Formats: sequence, structure tokens, C-alpha cells
Amino acid sequence: MALLEVRNLSVHFGGLAAVHDLSFVIEQGERLAIIGPNGAGKTTTFNLLTGQLKPSSGEVVFKGEQITHASVFARTHLGMARSFQITSLFPHQTVYVNALIGLQGTQRSRYRMFRPLFKDKALEMAAQELLESTELWDLRGEIASSLAYGQQRKLEMALSLASKPDLLLLDEPSCGLTTTESADITARIAALGSMITVLMIAHDMDLVFGVAERVILMHYGEIAAEGTCDEIRSNQMVRDIYMGSRKTLGHAR
Amino acid sequence: MGDRPDDVAKSDAPRGRARGGIAPTGKGARSFVETGLPVLAIGVVVLLLPLFLPTFVSSLVTKMMIFALFGMSLNLIWGYTGIPSFGHAAFFGLGGYGAGVLVLRVDITNFWLGLLFALLLTAAVAAILGFPAFRVFGVGASDNPIYFLLTTIAFGELLARAAIALRPITGGSTGLAGIPHPDLGFGITVTAGRYYYLVFVIFVVCLFIIYRIVNSHYGYALRGIHDNERRMQALGYNTWLYKYTSWIIAAVFGGVAGVMFAYFGGIMVPNNLSMITSDIAFLVVILGSTTTFFGPIVGSVAFVGVEYLASLYLPERWPLILGSLFVVTIMFIPQGLGVMILKLWRRLLYGAA
Repeated sequence: MALLEVRNLSVHFGGLAAVHDLSFVIEQGERLAIIGPNGAGKTTTFNLLTGQLKPSSGEVVFKGEQITHASVFARTHLGMARSFQITSLFPHQTVYVNALIGLQGTQRSRYRMFRPLFKDKALEMAAQELLESTELWDLRGEIASSLAYGQQRKLEMALSLASKPDLLLLDEPSCGLTTTESADITARIAALGSMITVLMIAHDMDLVFGVAERVILMHYGEIAAEGTCDEIRSNQMVRDIYMGSRKTLGHAR
Repeated sequence: MGDRPDDVAKSDAPRGRARGGIAPTGKGARSFVETGLPVLAIGVVVLLLPLFLPTFVSSLVTKMMIFALFGMSLNLIWGYTGIPSFGHAAFFGLGGYGAGVLVLRVDITNFWLGLLFALLLTAAVAAILGFPAFRVFGVGASDNPIYFLLTTIAFGELLARAAIALRPITGGSTGLAGIPHPDLGFGITVTAGRYYYLVFVIFVVCLFIIYRIVNSHYGYALRGIHDNERRMQALGYNTWLYKYTSWIIAAVFGGVAGVMFAYFGGIMVPNNLSMITSDIAFLVVILGSTTTFFGPIVGSVAFVGVEYLASLYLPERWPLILGSLFVVTIMFIPQGLGVMILKLWRRLLYGAA
């Protein structure tokens, strides 16, 4: 059984079909990347998968369950997690509190009204583990908004991993990072292990070809091409639409 | 290929400001000298005050405690969950009217029963109003709550109108007058002088409960919603439920303040439900700061103090003074007196920070 199955998914904003008749499947443990030019509907697809947007038609099936109209948080409890393209942290809280809030989102303790947050030993252990694995433990006392951008992206990743997801949706994880930082993120994603299935949007081809096993090219809300990294690299249409070829360069001149 | 967002460093705004005064270790733990000592000292002073000072002072302090609780109940949703309400007096008034009606119309004089009834009433009304309210206040609405503010104003005015219309129950526009001294049961009736202590005890209990709530698992989830509701949802939190429940909790504490106010003045008028009274909570919170737990207490002390001075020297000009207080606060101490005092106190303790 496929982990995630998308069937004929469409969403229209007025007359504009932002995503049109999209169908694809992700198997357990797979690394799938979605690429495509601006406005191709990549992030819209993410928002449909995570529930921020509701589709006009089509369905999303996760772990055999119909989740087309499930709420964002219900999907997280089922084992889906996402990162955001524009860094999305708790800017006024410390790194440590960011981790604590992130971790308890899928735990029953999140509704406890009289137990102080800072007396939950199990949660504190988990927070330490999470922050140490992302090399943020030494910065735990810093206010999140005062972190350097690269560190904020790391915290973003940490928050996305906090709910121990089976399917991780990464929206441009290396966006705005330096080459070194980007290589670091690439290595981290590659090292996630087969328990976590990864679907990511990326513009960074080093990241795509370094991590993904399969690539989907989106264009005008539809799948224009699909295949392994090698297939995509040698696909003429992909070159035309996305990477630019000698021919298109020639035309430009 | 440039799909770079323009706001790469989006969250650059307030550097190093920890909401709720979190200590730099990242933990909430603070030393006894820093928090315990001043709390104890102020508690003892307030407790012993009526023994040394004339009655009008203890009456002022009673009012300070009532409005402090009123402000703190608003701050629970405003400062923590990020929901600024302009109709918080709706619950203040409901509490007061609830207790008053029970005493004067139903003839149940027991204070505790009145309190319980008032709280159930405010909780029920808040639970009903919460549904339309949080349709208006959608995901991430703390950034632009203007429609929510208008809606909550309407709630207050609606209830004030209802209080005028339901003359046989509420006394109409003249209000509900002649609420007697509270009867605590067991034949104990609290006289004017002792009412101070009743308010003090209830105030301390409420303070303790609110403190526990805002520092609990639930309380930190509220702060998370204030900071970034979308992320909270992605992390698995049902943010609607948090907003809705915190709204009801805030309403209940607003109701407690209202009950104490009803017995304090012995009268409830429709204005206690409307904008004019909501303004008090709003000002108390702004004056005190939304980012510290004790802010509204400071705000309330300042507010009641200014109100008293105004009633002595410029009783005709109260609306003008109230308005100026708003403007001056926002222009000169936008962070609020609470933050100012916290900074001074820490500088005093630890030297220049």
C-alpha cells in the first residue's frame, strides 16, 4: 500500500486552476522532489496535502485513510508534518520553548491546564534530544527571532521533525541558505532514514539530485514530467520548461 | 530560477524580548529573591493596609484588586492567546448582574451560590458567543483583529441593550440597585470594612489559578498560538479549541471581577456591560503591559489612582483624562508600566543589564 496517494486533485481560485487533475503516489521510505517554475502550483499542492487549502475536487489518501477534508492538526496526528518556505517559528519564545511546544503538539499533555510545562521531565528529555540532534542545544536560551538565519532554518527543520512524522513535507528547505549551509541541510535530509518518507519542493538542483530518488516536474498546475533523477536530467521538456537549454538561450539572444 | 522570498529575515522585529518574562536560561525558573520576595512583601502590605490607613484607602485598594482581576482576565486572552477583545465588560457585567439578580429577584442571598450562578452564566454566554466570535477571528487573526474587535463591541452593546429592555429583571436603565452586603453563609455577613478581605482572598485565589494556567502546557500552547497559529496547527494543535476555551476561561474570571464589583458598589447599571467598562479593562492592560503576568495589576493601580485624583480635582473632565491616559500610554510607554518596573527591578537586583 502506498503511503500517500493523490487522486485527480484540483483546486480553482476563481477561474484559475492552480492545481489541475494532479495524481501521484509516494511509497513508504521514498524521497520524492517536486520541481517547477514559479507559479507552477508546488506550494499550493503542499497546502492541499497538509489541509491548509481544501481541494475543489479529487482526493488525498494517507495510510489508506481518506483525508481530503481532514483538518491540518488531524493530519499531523496521523503522521504528516511540514516545514514552511518562509521560516515559521515562535519568534518571541526561546529555542527551548520552541522545541517544547513543538514536541507536545501530538501528546496528550498538550491540554493540561495546571501542570507547569517546565516540570515535564519526559518532554524536557525529548527537547534536549531534538535540539542536540539539530545542534541547537547550546542556543536553547536564545529568543528564536534573534537567531541567525541559518540557525532559524535548522530550528524550522527541528520543529517539523518534532511530531515524529512518517511523511515529511519540506517546502524549500534550503531556501536562502549559503552553499555550505545548504549542503548541511542536504546531508541531514539524506540521513533521515527510511522510516521517514520525504516529499520536498526544491529549486536547489544540488539538493534535488543529492536527495531525491524520483522527481516530479510541475508546470501550470499539472505534472509535466515524472521520473528518476537521471531521466529528469536528460528529459528535453524539463530542460525547456525549467532548466533552460542552449536552444532557449539562443532564442533569448 | 529566483523564487527567493523578499522577507528572508522575516522575524527580525523584536529582538530578545521574551513574552511572559522568561529567564535567559530558557527555563521559566526564577529565583526567590526576584519574584517570591516582592510578591510576599506586597501581599503582606495589602493584607495589613486596612489596620493603618483610613477606610477610603482600603476602598480604593478593593477597587484596584477588582479591576486588576478584570484586566488580568482580559490579558489571558489578549496577552497570551493574542485575542484582543473590546467587549470584555460583557462578562464583567454578566457576572455582576447574575449575582445581583439572584440576591434581589430570586432571594438567594448566599454569596457563594451567587458567585457560582454568575460564573455558570458567564461561562454559558461566552460558550455561545464564542462560536460566532471565532468565525470572525480566523487562523492567524492576531495580526489583524479589527473585525473581531468590532464583533466583541457588538456583544457588549447587545447585552447592555438587553439589560435596559429586561426592566422587571434587571431594573432597566436605572440598573440593579441595593445589592446587600454579601452573606457568606453560617450567619456571617461581610460588612463594608471586611469586604476588603473577601476581595483579597478571592483575588489571590484567582491570581494563583491564572498563574498556573498561563505557565501550564495549555498556557504555553496559548502563547504559541499568539506567536504563530499556522505552525501550531501544523504541529498538531487544534487551535480553535484553545482559542475557544481560553475565551471562556477569560470570561469566567471577568465574571468573578464583576461579582466582586456588584457587591462593592451595591449597584449594577447597563453601562457595566458596555464599551465604557470594556475600556477600563483595555486601559488597565495597555497601561500595565500585555507581556508580563503582573502587568494588569500595575495598570489597575495606576488607573484607579488617576481616577481617584481626577474625581477630587477635575470630576467634570474624566472622559478627557481617560482619553489622554490612553494616548500618553501608547506614545510614551508602549510596552507598559509592567515591563518598565520589571526592568528597573532586575537592574536593582543584578546591576546594569
